[in-house]
Amino acid sequence: MIVRTIVRLTLATLFGHRRGLLLYILPGVFVGLCVLLAFTVDDKSGLAPAMLQQLGLAVILPLVALIAGTGAIATEIDDGSIVYLLSKPIKRSTIILTKAAVAVGVILVLGVVPIVVSGLILDPGDAQTAAAFGVGALAAGIAYTAIFVALSVMSSSAVTIGLLYSLLWESVLGQYVDGVKVLSVQQWSLAIIQRLTDLPSVTSDVKLPISLILLTAVTTAALCLAITRLRTLILSTAD
Amino acid sequence: MPVIATTALTKRYPRVTALDELTVEVGSGVTGLVGANGAGKSTLLKILLGLIAPTAGSAIVLGHDVVTGGEAVRALVGYMPEHDCLPPDVSATEFVVHLGQMSGLPADAARERAADVLRHVGLDEARYRPMGGYSTGMKQRVKLAQALAHDPQLVLLDEPTNGLDPAGRDEMLAVVRRIGTEFGIPVLITSHLLGELESVCDHIVVLDGGRLLRSESKAALTGETGVLAVEVRDLSGRDRLVAALARAGARARPDGPLVLVEIAGDETYDLVRDTIAELGLGLVRVEQHRHRLEEVFNV
Amino acid sequence: MSDQLPRGGVIHDIGYRHYTGPRLGRMAITQALMVSSLRHAYGIGRTGKAKVMPVLLFAVMVVPVVIIVGIENLMQFDEPQLLPVDYIFLLQPVIALYLASQAPQLFSRDLRYRSIVLYLARPPRRTDYALAKLTALVLALMVLIGVPLFILYVGALLAKYDFVDMSKQFAAGLVVALLVSILLAAIGGLIAAATPRRGFAVAAIIAVLIVSFTAVITTTAILDPEGDMSSTAARYASLGSPFSLARTVGTFLLRDHRENDWMPTTEQGLVFVGVYLLVVGLCVWGVNARYAKVARG
Repeated sequence: MIVRTIVRLTLATLFGHRRGLLLYILPGVFVGLCVLLAFTVDDKSGLAPAMLQQLGLAVILPLVALIAGTGAIATEIDDGSIVYLLSKPIKRSTIILTKAAVAVGVILVLGVVPIVVSGLILDPGDAQTAAAFGVGALAAGIAYTAIFVALSVMSSSAVTIGLLYSLLWESVLGQYVDGVKVLSVQQWSLAIIQRLTDLPSVTSDVKLPISLILLTAVTTAALCLAITRLRTLILSTAD
Repeated sequence: MPVIATTALTKRYPRVTALDELTVEVGSGVTGLVGANGAGKSTLLKILLGLIAPTAGSAIVLGHDVVTGGEAVRALVGYMPEHDCLPPDVSATEFVVHLGQMSGLPADAARERAADVLRHVGLDEARYRPMGGYSTGMKQRVKLAQALAHDPQLVLLDEPTNGLDPAGRDEMLAVVRRIGTEFGIPVLITSHLLGELESVCDHIVVLDGGRLLRSESKAALTGETGVLAVEVRDLSGRDRLVAALARAGARARPDGPLVLVEIAGDETYDLVRDTIAELGLGLVRVEQHRHRLEEVFNV
Repeated sequence: MSDQLPRGGVIHDIGYRHYTGPRLGRMAITQALMVSSLRHAYGIGRTGKAKVMPVLLFAVMVVPVVIIVGIENLMQFDEPQLLPVDYIFLLQPVIALYLASQAPQLFSRDLRYRSIVLYLARPPRRTDYALAKLTALVLALMVLIGVPLFILYVGALLAKYDFVDMSKQFAAGLVVALLVSILLAAIGGLIAAATPRRGFAVAAIIAVLIVSFTAVITTTAILDPEGDMSSTAARYASLGSPFSLARTVGTFLLRDHRENDWMPTTEQGLVFVGVYLLVVGLCVWGVNARYAKVARG
C-alpha cells in the first residue's frame, strides 16, 4: 500500500512539468534517427553496434538514467516535500528501493526498450545483438540509478555532478583512458554484451567476472549509502 | 482628476469571470481594495499595470489608458506583488538599485534613491546582507522599497501584510499610511483581512465575485452608525434581549452568541444597559463590533 | 522635515524627497538591462561562486590560443597552425559548457525566484525583456569566442603571415562565431526559460548539445564512409547539431571553400539557412511565449 503510493508519487514527479518531455525526447530522437538511417543507408554492416554503442549506450542511456535517477528523489529533497515521506513510519530502505525501482522501470521502458527496438530496426536479422544490448543497457541502467539516487541524497548539486560524471568519466575518459576504463559502468555493461553477442566489434576492456562483481558491488554500495544518508538527512529551509 | 478610473472593466476566462463590468474611481490618499480570495483584486491590479488585457471596458491610470499607454503607466506606478519575488543571493541594496534603474533612473540616482527608500521602510543595517537570510518582515519591506524607488505617482500594494505577525502588520500599515499622507503618494492596497484596512484607508472599495459591491469613503462606511456587540449568558437571554430592544425601537439582530445593535446615538448605550438590567440577564461583554466591514457583505 | 541646524545635538529625519531628475525611456532601460545581464554572464556583480565557471571557461578558451600564438612566433611555420573557424569547433565542449552554465543564470533565475514580475511591471515590454537577455547572451558568447580569435589574429600578424589572408580568416571566424552565438543563445535561452530549476536547465542544455553532437558525428560517419561528404544524406546530417548547422551556413554564405570542408550546393545551402532561421525564430518566439504565460499567471 505504502509502496504503491510512493510509486505513484515518484512517477508523478518524474513526468510532471518539463522533465517528462526530455524523458520522451531522448529515446524518441534516438529511435527516429535509427529509423532514418535504416531507410537511407544501403551498407548496413557495422551500423547497429556503432549506433547502439556510441549513441545509445554511451549517451542516451546515461542521460535517461540521470534524469530518471535524480528526478525520482532529488526534486523532493530540493523543495523539501520529502519530509512528508520521512515523517511517516516507513523504512528508509523502502523509500530508497521503491524510488530506485521506479527509476529502473522508467529506464527500462524509455532507455532499454528503445535500444532493443533500434537494434532490431537497424539489423532485423540479428535479434541476438539487439537483445544483448538490451541486457547490457539494463545492467548499466540499474547501476546508474543506484549511483544517481545516492548522489541525489548526498548533494544538492546532484544533477550537475551526475552530468560531469556521465560526460567526463563515462563518455570521454571511459572510452580512451585505460585506467578509468576499469571503473566505468559502460565498460562493465559492454563485457556483458560481448558475452551475449557474436559480433566481433563489441569489445570490452574489462573481463566479464570482474564486471559482474563490480556492477553488483557498486549498485549495492550506492543504495546502502543512499539509505544511510537518508536517515540523517538535514532539510535546509533557507532559500 | 481621479488617479484610477475604470469603466465597465471586464475580464473573462473560459471558466470564470474575474472582473464583471467594474466601474470605479480611486482618488488620492490611501484606498483599500477588499474582497475574498478570487474576488478579482489581483486581476484588477494586473490589468491596471498592463500585464493582462481586459476582455471589455477600459481603465485609465494617471491619465493614461492601460491598454494603449501601458508603458507610461508602468513608468509612473510602483507595484508590490503579493508573492515571494526576491533572489536569495543578492543584497537588498543591490536589488533595489538594479530595479530602480529598470524603472528609468540613471545609475547614480538609482543608488541614492535606493539608500533613501530603504531607510524610509526601516531597513538599515541589514540591507547589505543577501536577502536569503531575511525574515518575512524584512522581505516585505524590500518589496515595498523597490516599489517606491523611482518616486512613483501611485503605488499598488498587493496584500502587503501577508505572513507578518501582528506587530509587523502594524508597522507595515504605519508605513503605508505615511506613504499616503506624508510622502504624498496615492496608495491602492489590497487585503482580504477586513479589519486592518479600517485604520489605514481613507476610502474603501469592496469587490465580490468580480463585481463592485461598495465604494465609499471610510467615514461613510464606518461612521457614526457603528454597531454594538452584546454578549449575554445564555441563548434564551439573547433572544429575549433582541425582542426587548426591538420593542424599544432599536435595530437589533442575533449573530451567533452575540446581539448586534445598531448605534443610533449615545442613547443606545443607555438603552442596552437598562434593558439588560431590566431583564436580569447575565452580561458577558459589550463592545464596538469589530468587523464593521463584514456588514457590507451581509447586505 | 528638512532641518539644517540640529537642535540640541539631534539630527532630524530629512523626510521623503521626491525625484525630479531625468528618467530614461524604454530603450535606454532595455539597454541597461542588457548591459547588466552581460555583466552577470561573466559573474561581474555577483557572488564569488557565480564567477568561477565563466572565468574558468574563458581561461580555457584563451590559454590554448596564447600557447599556439607563442609557438607560431617561435617556430616560424610557413602557415598558421590553426584556422579561426576550426578553433571554434575544437572547443565546442567548452562553449557548450559555458552556455549550459550561464544561460540558466540569465533566464532561469528570474523565473525560479519569481522576480520577473517586478521586471514586467516596469516600462519595458515583455519582448524588450526577452530580447535584452538574448542579446546579452549572444554578446557573452561572442566575447567567449571572439577574444581567442582576436588573439589568434594578432599573433598571426606578429608572426608576419600575410595580412590580407589573416584578416579574411579572422573575419570568417567572426562571422561563424556570430552565427554560432545567435543559434546557441536562442536554444539555450529557450531551454533555460522553460526550466526554472537551474540544475535541470544545465542538464537539459548539455543533454541537447551532447546528443545532437554525438548523433551528427555517428550519423555522418555512417553515411559518409569515404569521408568526402559526397552523400547528400551525410550533408543534411549536419542540420542536427547547432555547431555544424551554423558552420555550414557560414561556409555557404562566405563561399569559404577549404580542402577539409565541403561546400553546399545552392539548394542545400538554402535549406540550411532556412532551418537556421526557423530554429532561431522558434526559440525566440518560445522565450517570449514563456514570459507571456508568466505575465498572465
